[in-house]
Amino acid sequence: MIFHRPLRWFAVVLSLVCAVQCPSRSLGQSDIDFNLDVLPILQSHCIRCHGPEVQEANVRLDNLPINLNENRAATESWHEVLNVLQTNEMPPPDEKQLSSEQLSTATNWLALAIQSALAERRQTDGRIVLRRLNRVEYQNTMEDLLGLEMDYARDLPPDGMSAEGFRNNGRSLQISSLQLEYYLATARRALDRAIVQHEQPPAIDHTFTDISIDNWLGEAQRSKRLGRRQEFLVKMVDKYPEEGDFSVRVQLTADLKSNTGYPLLEVSVGYQIDTEILMREFDTVEVTSPELQTFDFRGRIENFPLPVRGQGKFPGLVVRVRNLYDDKSPLPPPQKDESGRITYAAEDHLPTLTIQTVEFHGHHYDQWPPASHRRILFDAPKVDRESIPYVTQVLQRFMTRAYRRTVSDAQVDKFVAFYQEIRPEFPSFEEAIRETLAMILIQPEFLFLLEPAGEEKRLIDEFELASRLSYFLWSTLPDERLMELATNTNLRTNLNAEVDRMLDDPRSQRLVKQFTEQWLKLNLVENVAVNKTRYPGFDDRLKSDMCTETQSMFAELLKHNSSATELLSSDFTMLNETLAKHYGIDGVLGKSFRRVAIPADSHRGSLLSHASILLSNSTGSDSHPVRRAVWIRDRLLNDPPAPPPPNVPSLEQANPEFHQLPVRKQLEIHRTVESCNQCHRSLDPWGIALENFDALGRWRTELPKNSGESAQTQPIDATVELPDGKQIAGAAGLRTYLLQERKEQFARSLVMRLLTYALGRSLELTDQAAVDEVLEQFSKDELRLKGLIHKVVSSEPFQTK
Amino acid sequence: MADKSWHLDRRTFLMGTGVSLGLPWLECMANASPRPSRAEQSPRRICALYFGFGVALPPANHEHAHWRWFPQGEGSEYQFTETLKPLESQRNKMTILGGLSHPNGRRMGAHDTADTFLTGAYLNNKNLINTISLDQYAAARIGDQTRFSSLVMSTDGGVGEPTRSSTLSYNDKGRPLPALHQPQQIFDRFFGEGDADTIAQRRRLKSAASMLDRVLEDSHSLRNRLGNQDREKLDEYLTAVRQIEQGVERSQSWLEIPRPELHDEDRKMLQLDSDDQAPLQFIRTMYDLIYLAFRTDSTRVATYQITNMADCSSKAAKFPQLQGFKDSLHTLAHDWDKPGGSERLGQWDRFMAEQFAYFLNRLDSATEQQGTLLDQSLVLYGSSNSVTHDNNNYPLILAGGSQMGFKHGRFLKFSDKIPMSNLFVTMLNQAGIESPNFADSTGELNELLR
Repeated sequence: MIFHRPLRWFAVVLSLVCAVQCPSRSLGQSDIDFNLDVLPILQSHCIRCHGPEVQEANVRLDNLPINLNENRAATESWHEVLNVLQTNEMPPPDEKQLSSEQLSTATNWLALAIQSALAERRQTDGRIVLRRLNRVEYQNTMEDLLGLEMDYARDLPPDGMSAEGFRNNGRSLQISSLQLEYYLATARRALDRAIVQHEQPPAIDHTFTDISIDNWLGEAQRSKRLGRRQEFLVKMVDKYPEEGDFSVRVQLTADLKSNTGYPLLEVSVGYQIDTEILMREFDTVEVTSPELQTFDFRGRIENFPLPVRGQGKFPGLVVRVRNLYDDKSPLPPPQKDESGRITYAAEDHLPTLTIQTVEFHGHHYDQWPPASHRRILFDAPKVDRESIPYVTQVLQRFMTRAYRRTVSDAQVDKFVAFYQEIRPEFPSFEEAIRETLAMILIQPEFLFLLEPAGEEKRLIDEFELASRLSYFLWSTLPDERLMELATNTNLRTNLNAEVDRMLDDPRSQRLVKQFTEQWLKLNLVENVAVNKTRYPGFDDRLKSDMCTETQSMFAELLKHNSSATELLSSDFTMLNETLAKHYGIDGVLGKSFRRVAIPADSHRGSLLSHASILLSNSTGSDSHPVRRAVWIRDRLLNDPPAPPPPNVPSLEQANPEFHQLPVRKQLEIHRTVESCNQCHRSLDPWGIALENFDALGRWRTELPKNSGESAQTQPIDATVELPDGKQIAGAAGLRTYLLQERKEQFARSLVMRLLTYALGRSLELTDQAAVDEVLEQFSKDELRLKGLIHKVVSSEPFQTK
Repeated sequence: MADKSWHLDRRTFLMGTGVSLGLPWLECMANASPRPSRAEQSPRRICALYFGFGVALPPANHEHAHWRWFPQGEGSEYQFTETLKPLESQRNKMTILGGLSHPNGRRMGAHDTADTFLTGAYLNNKNLINTISLDQYAAARIGDQTRFSSLVMSTDGGVGEPTRSSTLSYNDKGRPLPALHQPQQIFDRFFGEGDADTIAQRRRLKSAASMLDRVLEDSHSLRNRLGNQDREKLDEYLTAVRQIEQGVERSQSWLEIPRPELHDEDRKMLQLDSDDQAPLQFIRTMYDLIYLAFRTDSTRVATYQITNMADCSSKAAKFPQLQGFKDSLHTLAHDWDKPGGSERLGQWDRFMAEQFAYFLNRLDSATEQQGTLLDQSLVLYGSSNSVTHDNNNYPLILAGGSQMGFKHGRFLKFSDKIPMSNLFVTMLNQAGIESPNFADSTGELNELLR
């Protein structure tokens, strides 16, 4: 006998309606006996497919333990059972159904048993697991800590992802010796740059008024006046720096045109090897005024491709200036001038830039030693820098910032002792200090969000709160103000004001980027190769514009504290010129994204019509209705379908006619097979409704021809019946349906996903109450996004450890 | 702190904390100095290569039967189909294996078995803890004889997520080892001029050893302040600290031994800037790196997950399209039984076989004391699906090891009663790593031997 411990529950049997709607409400007294009352129901309705013989979907009920209080895995499984019973998913429609009395008995028993198990466990579970910084957080943290721009995450392996798709989940973020080794190497590399030990190197200055290069790859014309086929190139053959800060200053005028966007200034630095050009670009700038003006670009030369001196056919470091504005009109053909150089006819309808001078300043420092150095080895006139009190203070300041909390004398003394031990081995003070600091940067206090706590749940302290806030909203360490508030125990009392301040800070764009990318799986666009035969002229750079639309939309709603329902249906979207053209929307000019009211016939105005989402859930050649359906159910509704079962039998034995049918029909036939139908009946319709969007997310009314000579184009039929029986017509119908019928489910899904991201852990049963509470307030607040952030921050799981 | 015998102290200390130690570390304490292999017999190596989603297997009477991955016939009389023809030149140094799979894998999700290709473990929604992989089992036993105990690579890098891993390698705790995926980084790590200044290098190694020691000492009080779940995570960190310490020690002893010199032609051929945007170049570069690591005896254990089963979340999903195929990897694999499907997938399978042949030819081009590098290396190549979604009858090739007792040139079919782990046991034993069993093995595959 597997059910060896009969449980007795003393509760009143509630009506079915209540059991369905409020399973977690506390029930009164009941007298349901598992063995007498529940087991027979399971045996007659469930065990045949979920028993010793067969385990559909890997679920086996006959030996699932019922001592829920002690068995957490079993609790999760029984919770699943409760869910499928309540949503009528099980038993399948063609099987014998439970009577309403049986259903009520089973769900009541389950609800009570689960609730009791939760209550028992609330003291220990639902804790945030010690988690390390992920690559993005490490990058930002190191950059902010050292005040030095560098690719800190270069050598770190990609982070593991949690089942919910997040990359900041403590359990999924493992640490290996490989990582630790690279943390140390990276810290040493960075500190070698941040702390200097020589005199200021002499500046290397160049001023160019004209092109200074004669051999260069490519089809562009060399010119001071820059349209889309021209470039301005200058070269420094041997007088250029190989380390340190540098700047490029470009002085220019612009010729602006009406009915086009602004010229787009791009500056890059690099060199040519044989048949290849290695360049790194600064961020592009829109030039919005015609006057003589100067643009300053600053960087660290080590972060750019540098030629090896004395090697290669094309020695020297090159600065390239271009105007990237392109209205996508046909390009003018190349011509040759009398000396054989490539030229192009002027394009009068396009804006141009005219270069006056390009300056290059190597070893360009505003002060010496540079700020990164002074920040650590602070000025202390009349103090012997090698004295132990000074070193102690240096370490104490650095550790406080790196550990994101005040540090004890004992903690500091350990590193002072370490410094003293290694100092004789190292040739200089600076080198010994660098080595000591590097060691601080591999401590668990730095690499992990450390919140020591025993078995009892406790309120997190002010420093821990500061870190949770800054990693949630900014993906980096707390700034000075947060640290100051925490030091004076003033953070919690100023929580709302601080959250607002942090959301107003540009660093909150990192929350937007990280959260939307992981919640909506935006980065998948990069893994889809667009079929260039089917979509000639598709420019892969459009992919990043696609993602920007989705992210700017979220940012815009957050900024104005608008309702999250606008993600489902809105009268505007965020576009720039390239993406607007892609959608066939006129009148949007220039590179920057802005709010654009949606033209009536454009079919836009919902996440479901964002090219980012449509393309990332396509094959690159065509739409992929099943993948799109999975995305909607998983990402928007938090109701992911089960993964495909093992050893799926191959379905269609080469039937030529089958494959000429539209996807919709193929899926219909597919669903006539019961084993497929089980999952696909509740899946396919969601994706079919979006069939009017092609792989790239553009609107279409006809399906493309399938390969095969006899194939005809076919009109698209995107009318579907959803699993709950609702008929909807295409994308617009789906949009309305989600807004009207699934708003609550969407809201809950968003709350859960945001809370998951904020906490850096998966939600568990014990979080139900917190989710319900946040959801209730969120719903009352008409799903406003800024409000949601406040609610998450003040929720119990966020405030406790 | 110079020559203090801190090894033993720490060991005593660690035992006291109740943290279990990984075997490699213990072994390392026993063998503090490297054992250069030159004086010994040629080193024996193990390499495992993996691709996701299986292959095309049209039946014998199918119009595209010539795109069936498995050959026609059996034993030494078999005939290659179009798919594996590129391997013709290595026919006598490889065996094609049919019928094998991991019995546990057959019970797992259709796309979940990439994780267990080298482990044979059982994973499901409730249990995602893997077990040690073949390569790490070997690395734990022979890894101390080379500068690096193993080379773990994949196209995506890192560990991925459970059941959609981006690594083939798992340690003795069943934790995934992050795979490297950037050719330049791998090259710098294995062959770079990192120790141009040995004095500075030694200084840093010494200070690292001293600091890691302190970290372990301090961890005791920190650990006491943590709850159970956090302790698990801290222990993971401490394990990494101990391993890196072992690495430091290893590096110290290897410091005097110069990094291997590479031939000019090796350097020229390597395309270290290749990435997942150019699959052909990338896959070959990764193969070149294994070749170089083996040839220079920098490691004797390597894994490379070429593609995986993470579908669209993998960078390798678009490999076929970047090579001019119409569909993504998953679509090609999914549609293998549609009209023309087995030809399309078969052509991709062949592309993969061409790259594999390139690798085998490279290994075979370097001569060693006994035969070629290939003859002293065991190379396992295959997938954990036969056709997509089917966790039986893995397409497998075992190449190399002619000097390690293997008899090649055949296509052998096995009953599904024989777990694939039996193959692993034979591989380990022939590589000189005595192993009575591995995972769920029930014996050995002596048919493979002379």
